[in-house]
Order: sequence, then C-alpha cells, then structure tokens
Amino acid sequence: MKRFKKVMLVVLSLLLILSASACGTSSNNSNASNSSKSSGSSEKITLTYWNIFTGEPAKTKVKEIIDQWNKENPNVQIVESVTENDAYKTKIKTAIAANEAPDIFQTWAGGFSQPFVEAGKVLQLDSYLNDGTKDQMLPGALDNVTYDGKIYGITYDQQASVLYVNKELFDKYNVKIPTTFSELIDAIKTFKSKGITPFALGEKDEWPGMWYYDMIALREGGVQLTRDALNGKTSFDNQAFIDAAQKLQEMVDAGAFDPGFMGLTRDEATAEFNQGKAAMYFGGNFDAAAFDSDPSSLVKGKIEAVRFPSIEGGKGDPTEYIGGGAGALMVSANSKHKDEAVKAAKYLAKHLSDMEYLIGAGLPMFKYDNVDQSQVSQLQIQIMNNVVANAKGNVPAWDLYLMGDDAQTHKDLVAQLFAKQITPQEFAKQMQQKVNGK
Amino acid sequence: MEKILSDKKAIFLFVFPAFLVFLVIVLLPIFFSFYYSLLKWDGFSKGVFIGLQNYKNLFINNTDGFIISVKNSFILAVLSVFIQLPISLLLALILSRGIKGEKFYRTVYFIPVILSTVVIGQLWMKIYNPNYGLLNFILTKIGLQSLTNQWLGNTKTALGAVFVPILWQYIGYHMLLMYASAKSIPTDIYEAAKIDGATESQIAFRITIPLMKPILKVCVIFAVIGSFKAFDLIYVLTNGGPLHASEVPSTLMYNMIFFRYQYGYGSAMAIFIILESLIGTIIIQKLFGKDEAY
Repeated sequence: MKRFKKVMLVVLSLLLILSASACGTSSNNSNASNSSKSSGSSEKITLTYWNIFTGEPAKTKVKEIIDQWNKENPNVQIVESVTENDAYKTKIKTAIAANEAPDIFQTWAGGFSQPFVEAGKVLQLDSYLNDGTKDQMLPGALDNVTYDGKIYGITYDQQASVLYVNKELFDKYNVKIPTTFSELIDAIKTFKSKGITPFALGEKDEWPGMWYYDMIALREGGVQLTRDALNGKTSFDNQAFIDAAQKLQEMVDAGAFDPGFMGLTRDEATAEFNQGKAAMYFGGNFDAAAFDSDPSSLVKGKIEAVRFPSIEGGKGDPTEYIGGGAGALMVSANSKHKDEAVKAAKYLAKHLSDMEYLIGAGLPMFKYDNVDQSQVSQLQIQIMNNVVANAKGNVPAWDLYLMGDDAQTHKDLVAQLFAKQITPQEFAKQMQQKVNGK
Repeated sequence: MEKILSDKKAIFLFVFPAFLVFLVIVLLPIFFSFYYSLLKWDGFSKGVFIGLQNYKNLFINNTDGFIISVKNSFILAVLSVFIQLPISLLLALILSRGIKGEKFYRTVYFIPVILSTVVIGQLWMKIYNPNYGLLNFILTKIGLQSLTNQWLGNTKTALGAVFVPILWQYIGYHMLLMYASAKSIPTDIYEAAKIDGATESQIAFRITIPLMKPILKVCVIFAVIGSFKAFDLIYVLTNGGPLHASEVPSTLMYNMIFFRYQYGYGSAMAIFIILESLIGTIIIQKLFGKDEAY
C-alpha cells in the first residue's frame, strides 16, 4: 500500500510538471507571434496574419501559400496564427479593442467588421487597389466591405443562394424546373399531390428559413431598396417587403414544406433531400458539399443548381442573389508596415480564393481562369455558371448584415411568418419598429 | 479526532482550499454576474451603468417571453415533483424489498442518468421525428393515425414533448437516492412489523416512507431546482422553439447573451434563476419541517 502511494505520488507530480510545461510552451508561442511585429529589424519585416483554417485540407494549403510567399519575399516574412472559427470571433474582437490586432486579419464582410471600421482600427484600402487588383476580382466583389463609400477589406470568398432541384424526381413526375414564382407554386402543388415533400427545410435553426424570405424580398424589392432598408435609410414597412412576406406564406399554404418543418434541424432537412425524399432544397452554396461529396448521399449527380425563380411584377432583377463577399482580409490601421501588409493581403486573398474553390470550401471572389476546372466539383461549377456569373448584384443574408440583436429579431419574425402567427403587414411593421426604429 | 476538530488552525487548513475553490468558481462569478446585470453591455465594448433597468425589463412590459419561460419552468417543477418523484419512489420501494434481479433492474433504471444529455436528446429527436420517428410509427401501426403529430415542431406539443425525456432521464437518479435510503433502514423494524401482522403497503406507508423523509426532501429540492435551471435537453431538442413555445429561463438567457449580445440583460436572467433556486430551497426546507433523526 505504501509503495502504491509512492508510485502515485511520482505519477501525479509528473502530470503536474507536464501540464505546467504544456502551458508554458503555448504561452511562449503566442508571445513570439505578438512580439515578432515589433522586433522586426529594418531590413527584415515580419507580418502577422491571423486566420481560421484549422481543418484539413485547407490548413495545409494555406501553409503552402504562405511558404511560397516567404520564399519569394525573403525580406517580408508572413507568420500565421490559426484559431478555431468560433473562438477566433471573440479573439479578434478583443485584440482590436485592445489595439493588438495583427497586421493582416481574417474577418467577415458586412455587419461583423462594421464596428472595427467605425472605430478607425482598419486601414482604408481605396488607394491601394487601383493597381489592377480590382480587375482581377469578380464584379461587385468589394461591395460588402465598402463602408460609407470607402473600401476597407479584400474579400476572398463568397456565398450564393442556390435552388437545388432533384432532376430525377422532376423528370419522373414530368415537372418543369420553375423559372417563375407561379411555376414554382405549380411544381409545389404537383409534388405535394404525389406525396413528395416539395421543399426540405429545417426551421428549428431559424436561419435556413430566413434565406427564403431574404431571397423573395430581393426579388420583390431589388438590391438597392434592400440595402437601403438594411442600412436604415428606408423603411421595412414597404409594399415590396409586405409582398415578399405574403409570397412566403403562399408557399406555406401551397404545402411547400414538411408538416414538421418547424421542429427539424437544418441537418435533418439536408438529409431528407440527400435521401431523395424531397424535390427541392433552397439554401447556400455551402450546402452543396452535403449533396455532392457526402458518401451517404443518394442524389449525387442527380442535382441541378439553379437560380431562385423570378417573381412576376417584382422590382428586383431575376439574376440577383443572396450572398456575395463573405470571408475577407483586412489590414490593421496600426500596422507598422502598411504597404507590405496590403501587398501580402492581396497575394493571400487571391490564393485563398483559388484554394477554396478548388477544395469546394467556398465560391471564388477573384477571377478563376487559372484554376483547373476538372478538379472542381460539378455542383460548384454549376453554381458559378448558373447563379453567380452574369448576376446584376447581390445582398448578403440579412443576419450577416444586421448582426446580433437585430439579426435574431429578423429570424424570429420570419419564423412567425412561417408559422402564420403574424400577417405580412405586421411582419413589415415590426421589422421597421424593432430593427430600424431603435 | 476531538482534538483535531477543536484546533482552529487545523480546521482552517482543511477547509481553506475547498473554500478558495468555491469562492473562485462559484461565488465570484455570481457577484460578477450581478454587477454585469446592472449594465447595458454587449460583451465587447464598454458597458453603461443603468441600475435595475434590466430587472424592470424582465417583468414590466416584457416582450421577449421571459414570464412565459418562467411559467414553463414552474410547470416542469410541478411535473417533476408529482410525476417523476412518485415513480422513482415506487421503483425504489419495490427494488429495496429484495426482488429477484434487484441489481439488474437498479442498473437498467440508472442507465439514462449516465448517458450524455446530447445523446439522449438525439435519441428522442429520432423518436419524435414526424417522418420516420418511432412514436408516430407505433401510433400508425396500432391504428391511432389521428394522434400522430409533429411533436417537436408543433407549438402545442413541443413543451410536453420536451418534458417527457427530462422527467424520464432523472427517474433513475432519484430512484437510486431513495433506494439507498430505504436499504439503510434497519431490518429488525420490518421484522417487528411483520410479527405484528402489518401488510406490505402498511410497511411502506407507515415505516419506510416516513423514515425516508430526509432523503425525500433532498430529492424534492433537487427536482425543483433542476427544473428551474433546466437547459441541456431543451437546448438540444428544440432550442426553446418553435416560436419560443418551449422556452425556459436558461435557454432564453443563453440566446440573449450569445446571439443577441445583451450580456447585461442576460446576466439579470442568470441572477433571477439563482435567486429563484435559493428561495425555492428555503421554502421546501420550511415545508418539510425540521430533520428528525431516527
């Protein structure tokens, strides 16, 4: 017994030392990355770059991209620091508030970065981007990082709203892929009468349903009106937004969704579509992976990605979509080496754009002629060709634009529309009161 | 032993480490939360001191459904005390009488307590699923098609559907507490009762249950406080939805802090839950009266 105690004592003290030293090394690391900025001597510059690529294969690819730059620019070295997505969002907010932001940092377009820009912590980029960078990017790429008419970031990927249709089911029941809203309602009724769920939707998570409303509102009101309303320059209590709410309830009335959709998660809904039990799924490009690469998918190769139908009488252009620039890089206003940091940010953004398209993580924001299309998944190519190419404009999903309290209010109100707890008029009125009327 | 207990230094030495841990991880956060609850604060920028405004917003002209969520947690508390605990007591009494396979049943009833709540949540989500769920399937098979429902997706049934697994999960927990207590009653009392010709039910109601009173009190307190701060299963099953139908104070608080970035207001809810639990404990203590040692 005594011996056992001794052994335990040794084991415990070893554990203690190990844990203590583990803490020690990690804090050393972070010190190194923080101090590298200030310790950069006159001829050799070190740029810190914070990102969120913790998962493979992106993690390795990003490392390769940085190594490539470091080899080509021996005097300007990029040092990366990788943090998991959710933790990163807290980390970057704290760092910026404390004036400890790295030279180049990962951020998101729209509402997320707005406080940083308003606090003057982000370098304004207009004068840096006229060197041909803008021409390398897709049209409208910088819209979501433009605040008060000035550009503050470089986007490297984008989201796009996509209507996924199960072509096998459409062919089987001889239904035309809808291009107008009345055709959509007809398709819903046909599938419903055949006992097939027209749309798989998981509204328990609230944001998937919000994408429907935001899309229809864009068709009814168009990019300009929508952006104005989101910026508080015009009222949500507008006929276009009321009509959109009404259209949404028309879909509900026509039986577009499973009876239990209010209690299903988004994963349960994509699984239903994956099993070939639903005819359509409306969501973002980020859903494609679940249909295309998931080994359990029964619909692989049977899916077509198309635009959401146009709405008769709507003021929006039928090519406009929900999405646009999402992931972005920004340069800290406190960076000691602004020119070098911007140059590196441009390099990183272009290569991140290519990399994400190649591995199917996101849609490109830069022109992608150099990317080997045979390596890209078919659905991604379809989304680029059918939805993004030739589009007249886009608006981010409203929860990205509004953020926090307002985003939650919007999602709650849309959920009430789905459940028919409020009328379209009340919806528009409450949106205006609770979001813009504060 | 006497000597050590009368030595103030020794008492201090033994109690201090535990007290320090308690102070740092329990008491201090409560005080911090109370301070935050007096602020209008988004968790990121500088907070503005607004006094008791957050508390006023909880109860006066409340629009976010806090009062309904408190009501829901009270319903859960009542169900726990009047449905869950009697079932536990019944199982404990039966098992403690030494039936065949006592250990086996004891283990089986305790399994839900060991399982992770997320696992139980996923399990019941599958049971409730309107398309392929077990519940609807069975109802259809036995000809009760009219009773099938979208259990978690319907605002009328969601609250009840969420409560069932919560009650089910902790039956085993309370059963084990009561079982241990019943087992610790000296057997000679039972022998004496049998010689006097008492029936099994008389033994249960006149001897076992009265002697279990201290542990019953603990169970009631656990059940009520557990209901006031219930969070995990509800979060997994419905996340308070659909349309806030199954919201309880802690899910609302979580939503307020992490999605609406209202740290001050959310902290006020947290403080309310703490006070509610404290007051609940005191009331139950009073209702049960003084502990009688046997």
